[in-house]
Amino acid sequence: MNKKTLKLTATTAIALVSAMSPALAQMTEVGPGEGALSIVAWAGYVERGETDPAFDWVTKFEEASGCKVSVKTANTSDEMVALMNEGGFDLVTASGDASLRLIAGGRVQEINKDLIPSWSTIDPRLQDAPWHTVDGKHYGVPYMWGPNVLMYNTEVFKEAPTSWNVVFEEQTLPDGASNKGRVQAYDGPIHIADAAQYLMFHKPELGITSPYELNEDQYKAALDLLRGQRELVGRYWHDAFIQIDDFKNEGVVASGSWPFQVNLLKAGGAPVASVIPQEGVTGWADTTMLHVDSEHPNCAYMWFEHQLSSNLQSDLSVWFGANPSVPAACTDGRGMQTAEGCTTNGLDDFDKVRFWTTPVADCSQGEDTCVPYYRWVSDYIGVIGGR
Amino acid sequence: MTAAVEFSGVSRHFGTASAPVKAVDGVDLTIAEGSFFAMLGPSGSGKTTCLRLISGFEKPTGGVIRIFGQDVSDIPPNRRNVNTVFQDYALFPHMNVRDNVAYGLMVKGVDRRSRNDRAEEMLSLVKLDGYADRKPGQLSGGQRQRVALARALVNEPRVLLLDEPLGALDLKLREAMQDELKALQTRLGITFVFVTHDQGEALSMADSLAVFNEGKIAQIGTPADIYARPRTRFVADFVGSSNVLTPEVTRAFGGPAKWSSLRPEALRLTAADGVALAGQVTAIRYLGAGSRVSVALPGSEIALLVPAGEALPEQGATVGLAFDPAALHIMDEA
Amino acid sequence: MTDAPAILPERGLGDRLTALFWRHPRLLLAVLLTPPLLWLGVVYLGSLFALLLQSFYSIDEFSGMVKEEFTLKTYAELFRAQNLDIILRTLLMSAAVTIGCAVIAFPIAYYAARFAKGKWKAVFYLGVMLPLWSSYLVKVYAWKLILAKEGIITWAAEGVGLSMILNAILAIPGIGGNSLSTSPMGTFIVFVYVWLPYMILPMQASLERVPTSMLEASADLGASRAQTFRTVILPLAMPGVIAGSIFTFSLTMGDYIIPQIVGTSARFIGLAVYQLQGTAGNIPLAAAFAVVPILIMLVYLTIAKRKGAFDAL
Repeated sequence: MNKKTLKLTATTAIALVSAMSPALAQMTEVGPGEGALSIVAWAGYVERGETDPAFDWVTKFEEASGCKVSVKTANTSDEMVALMNEGGFDLVTASGDASLRLIAGGRVQEINKDLIPSWSTIDPRLQDAPWHTVDGKHYGVPYMWGPNVLMYNTEVFKEAPTSWNVVFEEQTLPDGASNKGRVQAYDGPIHIADAAQYLMFHKPELGITSPYELNEDQYKAALDLLRGQRELVGRYWHDAFIQIDDFKNEGVVASGSWPFQVNLLKAGGAPVASVIPQEGVTGWADTTMLHVDSEHPNCAYMWFEHQLSSNLQSDLSVWFGANPSVPAACTDGRGMQTAEGCTTNGLDDFDKVRFWTTPVADCSQGEDTCVPYYRWVSDYIGVIGGR
Repeated sequence: MTAAVEFSGVSRHFGTASAPVKAVDGVDLTIAEGSFFAMLGPSGSGKTTCLRLISGFEKPTGGVIRIFGQDVSDIPPNRRNVNTVFQDYALFPHMNVRDNVAYGLMVKGVDRRSRNDRAEEMLSLVKLDGYADRKPGQLSGGQRQRVALARALVNEPRVLLLDEPLGALDLKLREAMQDELKALQTRLGITFVFVTHDQGEALSMADSLAVFNEGKIAQIGTPADIYARPRTRFVADFVGSSNVLTPEVTRAFGGPAKWSSLRPEALRLTAADGVALAGQVTAIRYLGAGSRVSVALPGSEIALLVPAGEALPEQGATVGLAFDPAALHIMDEA
Repeated sequence: MTDAPAILPERGLGDRLTALFWRHPRLLLAVLLTPPLLWLGVVYLGSLFALLLQSFYSIDEFSGMVKEEFTLKTYAELFRAQNLDIILRTLLMSAAVTIGCAVIAFPIAYYAARFAKGKWKAVFYLGVMLPLWSSYLVKVYAWKLILAKEGIITWAAEGVGLSMILNAILAIPGIGGNSLSTSPMGTFIVFVYVWLPYMILPMQASLERVPTSMLEASADLGASRAQTFRTVILPLAMPGVIAGSIFTFSLTMGDYIIPQIVGTSARFIGLAVYQLQGTAGNIPLAAAFAVVPILIMLVYLTIAKRKGAFDAL
């Protein structure tokens, strides 16, 4: 802070030369480990057996590489971007709505996939995914992916709901009461994409081709749908544990959610289940990215290999209710995951999942035609504020 | 003449029933309209509680209080036509002098112009013209005292209660205020009830006074009466500087075997030879108008007043005492 | 006469220091004041200045990097409808919480200042301070459960047949909602609970400084209880009320935990600052938002001073 303040004070009058450093040349060989590795990660992503001794994919890595792993947990994609902008970290498990921003901001460096022996085992559909590949250059190693499912209360819905309309349109639920005040939605601007995806199915005349690429009209239609949803939602969810509590005590019966909450609630005996409705789902696909100023690049490359080849992919997919980026991890017995487990987590639904990606102005509809992410942020604050 | 204030068997007990603190205990009292009445006593004697019973800040636990013949047992302070000058003056620090004085009129709903005019009049009465815009914090003790007086008088109360109003003033100011208060009372004709622990103040200002001791009235009467003829040892001791003589000493002075009082100015020094009353001088105190000489007699110590100009004995000298037998006042009670 | 010396011997460092401070009274003052002034000057004013500086920068909307060039663009963003909503919402909530706290705190503070003696005074202090001893988060989560749709209040209201009233309150537009826990009413209740001690204590301190004789004088001069309250007690207690309201007002304006856990998810300034700075990395807008409460407090204090709230100080 002090250093920064000094710098700011010294340069108030003069415009600072762009803070973005040019991307360093990619690594050409992996040397000996530097002894440490710091990772910005989602909660539950980097476990060393402290929460549950059965789930540990760090200890062995530390023993083998000599790199001591430290983890900084982040709750939202925006927070991850902020932390990487601050600097001082090596890796980040960035979702698609953060990864492109990190690349554009020059915060992460290009990856030399030749230095990662297990690269070829990655699901081919993820190897060149657009959220980490720009102009043919790779900026990260796929980590884990999963769908944003519709979680519902099985006592209210004797049969699984087939449409997201239970959280978007006012209606009488199977138990005879209105859904007003009994549904939730995600407290992040990326939820606009869920609305767009719903419209994509129900209002084809809008011509939406991707929920992350919306022109002004499509965007406006999505916001209108969300304004209607505001009337139905008592409180938006932001913290997974508060959502769990709301399903238990607040009478919430349906909401977009993550398999993580579904699994925890089920484990606690709550009457919930999840489904992928007919409109499809949005989802996250996380990529491990290397900070441009990383002080421990050798350890980072060792981690890249480790995350693909060890028990990590298999056990993490069980722990988090997600899908491994290495499909073999479901079946080859390197960890606890099984083929059935992967099916439950939505491995076969890959095509129904539209992965989070950062909306940009220049999109497939043309240059400067789509509504960029910063407007998503401020408009969603307005929607939640009832505007 | 109607009684302005009348107490019939009034008590005010604090504490529990098993261990009551009898602040006021069975007091009967009549204060004549238009009089300057003083309540005198040491601290804790019940005089201030009596004053607060009149204003209504205390409720009697027994007996009846009447103000101009009307029972005020159920009347709250704001409806009693009596006003108080508080010991600490209790001026409102957030209001200027004018608003302080006009407060009583303001709460009655008198319009601003009239009440300001009236406040100016009252300030003029207490000789504080031109101070209306000051805050109480900017005034001296004597000035605050006057503001408190003006504030209490603005409502034209039928009885004005003064709780040790001069206690915080220095001697010279106190004497000046005593004269002014007396003159004001004469001029306004309002009944003043004045609480003090200073017997000189009570004697010099009051038309009549009550001496309080331990929640009861020890004696009630005119100042001259109480000074000359104290009814109890306590009164003799507290009022004035009388010698209080035990029954034995009274007999030695030629009286009956009863408690008595003898004022210092009624005694004279004589030669020691052949006199029944003789003793050694133990202390000489210079008072200005004379000197107070203490003489040790068997069983007691007697003080006498030697006027200025007369010869004073040496400390430790043996002297004789002579006195006017008529001045020996035999008390009714011990 | 004795042979005792006129000057006593020096006994060591303590005596030497005492002598030094006696000869140079300002030295002691300087020694005492320098650390806090340094703290205040460097840490507090320094960070405030850094914050102000940040608010004149802007952010690159896509990459999220701060552009360190002077601009008023960030302040202009505050006037966007949804940001004005946040400011207005926060202002209304802070005002409501302050009034709510003042109304509830007054009788408690008055009782404590006027009537509580000895043991009861200790009970009072304990009662007021007790909630401050437990973690703030624990209290807020506890309230989330109390106010939940399937929580204690709903249950109790059903038990005594007052569900009608509860539902009527929740049906009021603007303050109601699906349950107390998801309504602005619930946010208000939790705010009042959490900040109440900060109103009671200064209020009690200022009421304690109003002499009883002042109240008696008012009654003596013919004022009813209500008149005494309005013209004597309230003005004299005002510094305490203002002090308390500065706490409740600014604490509400800056809080970012409660609206996150209890309420409708609608943003308040504190939450907006937290999200903009902590999660969105938009430090310039966060700084601009953070300047708003400072300005509001300055305006508030100016008005209070004009109205004579500090006359009794």
